[in-house]
Amino acid sequence: MTVSIHLDDIVQEYPRPGGGLNRVIDELTLHIDAPEIVMLLGPSGCGKSTLLRMMGGMRPYGVQTPTSGSVSIDGEPCLGPHDDTVMVFQQYANRPDLTVRSNISFPFRLGLWRRRVPVAEQRRRVDRILEAVGLADKAELRPWQLSGGQNQRVALARALVLKPRILLMDEPFGALDAQTREEMQALLVELFQENPCAVVFVTHDVTEALLLADRVVVLSAGPAKVVDDFLIPEARPRSHAWQRSTATLALEERILGHLHASGGPGQVRVTV
Amino acid sequence: MWNPYVPLGASQRRTLSLVGVVSVLISWSLLSGLGLVGPAKLPAPWDVGGALVRLSWDVGRGESPLLIATLWSTSRVLVAGMLVIVIGVPAGVAMGASPKIDAIFSPLIDPFRSAPIVAVLPILVMWLGIGELMKITFLFLGAVVYLVPMVRDAVRSVPHTYFTSARDLGATELEAVRLSLLPMAMPRIADAITVAVSVMWTYITVAEYINAERGLGQLIQNARRFSAMDQVFAGIFVIIALALITYSAMVALRRRVFHWETT
Ligand SMILES: Nc1ncnc2c1ncn2[C@@H]1O[C@H](COP(=O)(O)OP(=O)(O)O)[C@@H](O)[C@H]1O
Ligand SMILES: [Mg+2]
Repeated sequence: MTVSIHLDDIVQEYPRPGGGLNRVIDELTLHIDAPEIVMLLGPSGCGKSTLLRMMGGMRPYGVQTPTSGSVSIDGEPCLGPHDDTVMVFQQYANRPDLTVRSNISFPFRLGLWRRRVPVAEQRRRVDRILEAVGLADKAELRPWQLSGGQNQRVALARALVLKPRILLMDEPFGALDAQTREEMQALLVELFQENPCAVVFVTHDVTEALLLADRVVVLSAGPAKVVDDFLIPEARPRSHAWQRSTATLALEERILGHLHASGGPGQVRVTV
Repeated sequence: MWNPYVPLGASQRRTLSLVGVVSVLISWSLLSGLGLVGPAKLPAPWDVGGALVRLSWDVGRGESPLLIATLWSTSRVLVAGMLVIVIGVPAGVAMGASPKIDAIFSPLIDPFRSAPIVAVLPILVMWLGIGELMKITFLFLGAVVYLVPMVRDAVRSVPHTYFTSARDLGATELEAVRLSLLPMAMPRIADAITVAVSVMWTYITVAEYINAERGLGQLIQNARRFSAMDQVFAGIFVIIALALITYSAMVALRRRVFHWETT
């Protein structure tokens, strides 16, 4: 599968409440040209969500995004919502009136996906993903009967059932407890291996970044620029031994160094 | 100790409610029994009971005047209720989903919530005559001005994440409204319908006073004309009972259908 996301010379300015402009992102360039997991880190408020929404074509009301520069997907300029990306947020927005199964198959009620995926295939995919995220026995329950982690699995399943070519994840596991977060990370790796796509994953958790990334991109704050961009060739799933190796710890220090330089401590997390 | 957040037990609640009703009944009986208020002004409870029995079966004609009147009134509420739902709910949803549509129609509807709709009745009579058309229209107008703003607010109070996440998944605007906003607003739309039906039960007598032809309003109006206060009271109680039954049935139905909403 081929996929490309090109952000070129992106500038983003938001109006300040008092008047004047706040330049959040400054001439940022980032190219993603393969189905890989890109972990995007940066100090809080530096513009990560803004970038992610740009790639998803979800633009805020009343503000032009980007202010200048271009976003293109597979060589085509990305001007609005498009069908190749699906987003997953920390806030999972599962529908309380629908069962787990209906929450996951919800996109297939939309004309766009109904036309694209034949009914038999829809059903096969929903069954398959229910198994994969370990919710097959909970298919007829409702979101409020599930834990936070299980709810996030529903949200992830709803995204993956579409087999998107680009998966945009904005701190999806940020609100989960440590153990559930590890389960979700393992699940993502498993599902990615089955169905590789371009994943852009925003996190403030350095450990998570090192565990999942093919590639790590670190942004600075005020305004955001790419300050580091490197590959991690280690195969997944990654062992505890690898995570504790000096080489990995050095990478961790490298990322933390960037984040502290531009954002100050306290805004990032290391979980071990 | 007083704490407004601790609900009463079911039996304690029932006992206290019963105490309220029974003490009113006792005071009422005392007022009548001791002759403090004459029967022309306030009929005794037992006289009202007697009137209820007599209205339930008219031996001379071999029919039940109360049942016939109830059926007439209920059908009117039913027909007007259908119209209110079929027209009012889509209108309210459109206003809730589109600020533009709301801006156009709100000034036309909102003032009537506080306007005396009863004052419109003579105009309706002038335009539509005194038949069924006028009665149904009156009930419809009276209820729809309550329903539409409530439906609008129901749609607006749905957290916007449900709309945006549907849009993120590729829903068209119409799909996001139909498949996300509408189902999420349904419990409160059901509340709006319940209120609308209650409002219609309060207006039904007014609608039926005019030309006084069949219905509970007519029954009351006729009784008043012959100064049969016991029958007036009997008619009022029947309307209250019908309104209460409809209300509890709708609340129970809502709780069953939208049980997800309470959590
Ligand atoms: N629609 C908007 N209007 C004005 N300012 C915004 C808007 N969206 C984001 N911002 C500002 O842009 C900056 C970056 O926001 P965001 O992309 O959410 O950062 P991050 O996800 O990295 O924490 C923040 O300072 C935020 O206040
Ligand atoms: Mg963010």
